Amino acid sequence: MLSILLIVPLLGAVLAACLPTKQTREFTLWIAVAVIGWTVLLLTKFDLSNPSMQFVENINWIDALGLSYRLGVDGLSLPLVALNSLLTWMAIYSSDEKIDRSRLYYSLILLLNAAVTGVFLAQDFLLFFISYELELIPLYLLIAIWGGQKRAYAATKFLIYTALSGALILAAFLGLAWFGGSSSFTYDPALAHALPLSQQFLLLGALLLGFGIKMPLFPFHTWLPDAHVEASTPISVLLAGVLLKLATYGILRFCVGLFPEAWQIAAPWISVWAIVSVLYGALMAIAQTDMKKMVAYSSVSHMGYILLAAAANTALSFSAAMIQMVSHGLISATLFLLVGVVYKKTKTRDIKILEGLLNPERGMPVIGSLMVLGVMASAGIPGMVGFVAEFLIFRSSFPVFPVQTLLCMLGTGLTSVYYLLLINRAFFGRLSAPVQNLESVTWRECYPAIILTVAIVLFGIQPGWITRWSEPTILATLRPPAIVATMNTSIEP
Amino acid sequence: MTSINSCHRFATYIDRFYNGQSLVPDSPDNVKEVVGILDSYGYVLDAYQKNLQHIADREFLTVFPFFKYFNNRVSFNQLIEHLSHDRINYEYAEYCMKVMLWHGGGKLEQYIESSEFRALIEPAIQAKIRGNPMIRLLHRLFPEFLPEQVRQSVYYNALGQFWEVMSDIFLTLARAYEQGKVTNIPEVVDWIKAGLVAAAGNPITYAVEIDGRSYDILPKSAELTFLMDVAVPYVEAIFFRGTPFLGVVSYNAQAHQIPVPQADFTYGALYADALPIGGAGIPPTLLMQDMRHYIPPYLHEMYQNTKRQEDDLLVKICQSFQKSMYCVTSATILGLAPHPLDSQDPREKSANMAYFEGWMDRLLTSQLPNIQG
Repeated sequence: MLSILLIVPLLGAVLAACLPTKQTREFTLWIAVAVIGWTVLLLTKFDLSNPSMQFVENINWIDALGLSYRLGVDGLSLPLVALNSLLTWMAIYSSDEKIDRSRLYYSLILLLNAAVTGVFLAQDFLLFFISYELELIPLYLLIAIWGGQKRAYAATKFLIYTALSGALILAAFLGLAWFGGSSSFTYDPALAHALPLSQQFLLLGALLLGFGIKMPLFPFHTWLPDAHVEASTPISVLLAGVLLKLATYGILRFCVGLFPEAWQIAAPWISVWAIVSVLYGALMAIAQTDMKKMVAYSSVSHMGYILLAAAANTALSFSAAMIQMVSHGLISATLFLLVGVVYKKTKTRDIKILEGLLNPERGMPVIGSLMVLGVMASAGIPGMVGFVAEFLIFRSSFPVFPVQTLLCMLGTGLTSVYYLLLINRAFFGRLSAPVQNLESVTWRECYPAIILTVAIVLFGIQPGWITRWSEPTILATLRPPAIVATMNTSIEP
Repeated sequence: MTSINSCHRFATYIDRFYNGQSLVPDSPDNVKEVVGILDSYGYVLDAYQKNLQHIADREFLTVFPFFKYFNNRVSFNQLIEHLSHDRINYEYAEYCMKVMLWHGGGKLEQYIESSEFRALIEPAIQAKIRGNPMIRLLHRLFPEFLPEQVRQSVYYNALGQFWEVMSDIFLTLARAYEQGKVTNIPEVVDWIKAGLVAAAGNPITYAVEIDGRSYDILPKSAELTFLMDVAVPYVEAIFFRGTPFLGVVSYNAQAHQIPVPQADFTYGALYADALPIGGAGIPPTLLMQDMRHYIPPYLHEMYQNTKRQEDDLLVKICQSFQKSMYCVTSATILGLAPHPLDSQDPREKSANMAYFEGWMDRLLTSQLPNIQG
């Protein structure tokens, strides 16, 4: 059943490459709809009370390597699979209808979708790594071919950083198999739990570094703003909305799941790392005048919250991390989509040039209104999913790391600062002279952001629609049993 | 004499007057835009003037004129249309009337403040409040209240008369343009100037009928005339000075357009910022809303050929309207020039230059440079 989520986009990618150019976009949109449909089917069939892997598929692939085609989905991965399916459709829909080399472009997006889904579904370390690396190729090409002026630089930087991330993760997986004396790469927490603490630290360090680059955390974040600025809008949506979640998913799944003891010991230091990332990202965002770079640095800051929640290592903080992953996926995708529309119409993202875009007659009032909602969500204004995520992160982390949590909370205040600067400069006031003769924004250009904004508000009002999928899995992931007992206490009303 | 003799920042516009041009550059697009918008303005003014005259005549001293915008056609359907705003914004005409009343000017203001006027209107007031003890008591307690209402009625009537003439000028201009009789901006200005000059000496009179008897409010003997006592005060009040009533605020704080010295604060139509910003700085939006119903096809086509088509129709109308108002202002400036522009008398030339520079001083902070594109 899960293979469909890989086969359909892969097959779609191949067919899209062969179809006449005019039909490619429509075809890939239908493929994306099919993927969404299948994801919805999975959601309906998913057993909410079952914490273990569901819909498992297991085929031995290359025995000599110990590689097996083992897929499964649980509460940690299912929401992210759904997010990936949704944002892939959004990315295709919001792509320029007259994009050059459209067959290659849409094929790569579908390939990217399959690779990312593969990462979330893989239950074999090697299969995870292969999917993780496979995702680099389409993304590199999507930035390098359809990016901005410095696309080659940004794509290469992205490739180097994330390839290094992959190498560290591969080293950790190989080390795990080697230290554990296993001939296969099947995901088995028991194997890691049995390792001595020193070896756990070594492997955890490699994984944390690998995922830290991808997340990205300070000081390994420098590839992200460049990649975002140079990538086209749909690719930025995927990059911020889904790609960064590969790392946070990896941290929750592997770093905490495999090495809970080492993680507990390292957690105070990890929380400090989270503070640095949160505050550095926020302060850098304040300094930006490019709207896209601001949103990119905001991502660096907001991903730090997830690390804090992971460091706190409680059931509530894990739930909070899950909500933050989905929340950030929705909010950052919305913001990038909106910035994309602004750029398309004004040919600039510089908030020193833009002014008064909220003008009801000559500006882009719908885009401006959605932007206001988007930044409110990002700044954690109640009634939106961003508030739920951040509140839960702080609520759950505070008993464990009070000082670190308080410092991270500064990040929320700083988020308001940089986004208010953005809104105030670019959207309020009188339309500046260079943007007084803009083309109208069509509803078609607004739909993706409207859909995401509705989701942001809906999940803000009803966050249980996200957490219900992951709670049993989180309880099972957090080990040893003593921790589970604590979690059971804290999760009960 | 040309602007070579002037060091004024707007000398180039003075130069245009001497070259037979106006404040608005001459181009086929500008002609189409100005005439098209004046066409729609003509229809709107006609509706406004009818309502103003209706209020002046039929709602004279009516304490609660609930149905003053209905023009004597009170019906359920009319009420629904009114409440659902499917109608002309007569409020805008009233704002303009109040602006004139506020700023005054001309002999009209002097006359309505005179004892002669006061003596003339008292019989009309007494006739109107006869049989109404409450209002009689009110008049006894506050003797200035009803005369002030009458002064307001005077401005309802005077503005109505002014717009009746202007509406006719604009509508005939549009027909002349369609027939190819008007082809450039100077001809547009000449047409307006000719209309104004033709009506310049028209007497401004006002009488109300109460219980079958006519009462003079502005008698012919007051010698009030169209151009000097209504048109010029109108241009002064509406184009230059304005008032902070809803619908005509031109400046806004968000755009840093409010000058620090409050005395420099000008609201007039020639200064209005066509771009609305938030809740402040609203240009004469009600008027724009009314005009959009009467835009001629060729102007629609012109707007449709822009990048944003008619998404920003109100802004486009406002900008076109401002251009047309600069044509009217040009006509007024030229019409009121103290001496012929081709005069060779040095003193007359000097007086003309001083006159033009005086106008240009007033236009320094206006939208004039922005309509040149």
